[in-house]
Amino acid sequence: MRNLFTFIIRNSHWLVAIVLIVISFYLVFSHNSYQRSVYLTSANNVVGWFYEMSNKATTFIHLNKNNKLLLERNAQLEAELYSLKTYLSDYRTDTLKTNAFLSDSVPVSQFSFIQAEVTNISFSGPNNFITVNKGSMHGVKPDMGVISQNGIVGMVQSVSSRFSVIIPIINPKFRLSGKLKNSNNTGSISWDGKDLNIAQIGELPKHEVFQPGDTVMTSFSRIFPKDVVIGYVTEQILSKDDNFNTLNVRIATDFYSVRDILIIDDKYYSEQNQLENSIQ
Amino acid sequence: MKAFSIFKEILLFVILVLLQVLLFNRISIFGFAVLILYIYFLIKLPYGRNKFYVIVSGFLLGLVIDIFLNTPGMNAAATTIVATFRSVILNLFYPKNEYEDFVPSIHGPTAAFVKFVLVMVLLHQTLLFFIEAFTLFNFVSTIIRLVSSSLLTIVLILALDLLSVGREKISG
Repeated sequence: MRNLFTFIIRNSHWLVAIVLIVISFYLVFSHNSYQRSVYLTSANNVVGWFYEMSNKATTFIHLNKNNKLLLERNAQLEAELYSLKTYLSDYRTDTLKTNAFLSDSVPVSQFSFIQAEVTNISFSGPNNFITVNKGSMHGVKPDMGVISQNGIVGMVQSVSSRFSVIIPIINPKFRLSGKLKNSNNTGSISWDGKDLNIAQIGELPKHEVFQPGDTVMTSFSRIFPKDVVIGYVTEQILSKDDNFNTLNVRIATDFYSVRDILIIDDKYYSEQNQLENSIQ
Repeated sequence: MKAFSIFKEILLFVILVLLQVLLFNRISIFGFAVLILYIYFLIKLPYGRNKFYVIVSGFLLGLVIDIFLNTPGMNAAATTIVATFRSVILNLFYPKNEYEDFVPSIHGPTAAFVKFVLVMVLLHQTLLFFIEAFTLFNFVSTIIRLVSSSLLTIVLILALDLLSVGREKISG
């Protein structure tokens, strides 16, 4: 018995090691399944604050303030543009509508935009992510879409009161349906982990005609408006499946230089979500 | 003396975390190699340091890095495993009767130090990349990233060690 105790005491550091390793692996596997744990990510307020400070120290050369004002303006205009577009398309599709049934002359925009600033961006491995300085306090929620001036950035994953973490296109967990500009066939956008500027669009039908330089846009999506630019076709690559084409897409957003982004607040998201969940 | 040494270790811990998070993780050399410097902390612990201390500090180091990089568990797991086997690896290259406060350094027996760094870094990065690859990704690109990252990290650690000891000599 005493031998047993001395054995345990002499080797107890192995026990500690095993316990800690098990904890680590638990974290690895429980997190990878899209858990939205805030405490162990950079959406955590302390870490977010820290990144923000380091960012402040480096951004003075970027003429931050002017940029931000411009972006806020841009957000406003974008919302306006969208509401006008829907207004216009309503008229186009229904010219026979009589005035008596027109209920509202100024349509409410489905989308509004929350302007935010990138405080940290990591792209050293496949697990790329972006931290931004707006959180639930400013109305950000998980699953909101994120765009930059040039095109799509990604999707909000986790949110704390003042920060949120975004999964960009250049993360293998990110999936989105997209289409070529002049077509209605949708494919799926993903990233193969090789080049930070190149994503792939797969599952496009074989008969789809394309040219290098064609614009790739969002199609049906729960989180993005229609026809937001994703990138531009560069070339065709080897496809895993003979029935479909896979194309390389140069991503419109430059992740090396992205600083200011817009988070899309879809007013009908929860309604659509509820409705779709109710039939499952 | 021991309190001072622990203080120095805490300082090294903080500096390495900052360097890793603010600098090295924003650099991706040739698009795939990453410098993973923070393992230097485990390399520079004194020879006779308590095993609990080594393992727990290794775990904490990995965990802090994980929190900053949004990779829960990955770095923690790899670093804890390396910390656990540190004394075994150390005994492979250094004589067993080394005195307690001995800190492995390039100015000690150089060949032993280089081998020690080589094994520590390779073990750490192999674990890291394969834990990462568990969830994703193809074999070949993982190997390329592993080899290039390890080589660069080893070179950086050796260079850094050469520098830091030189500075100590001047100040002391």
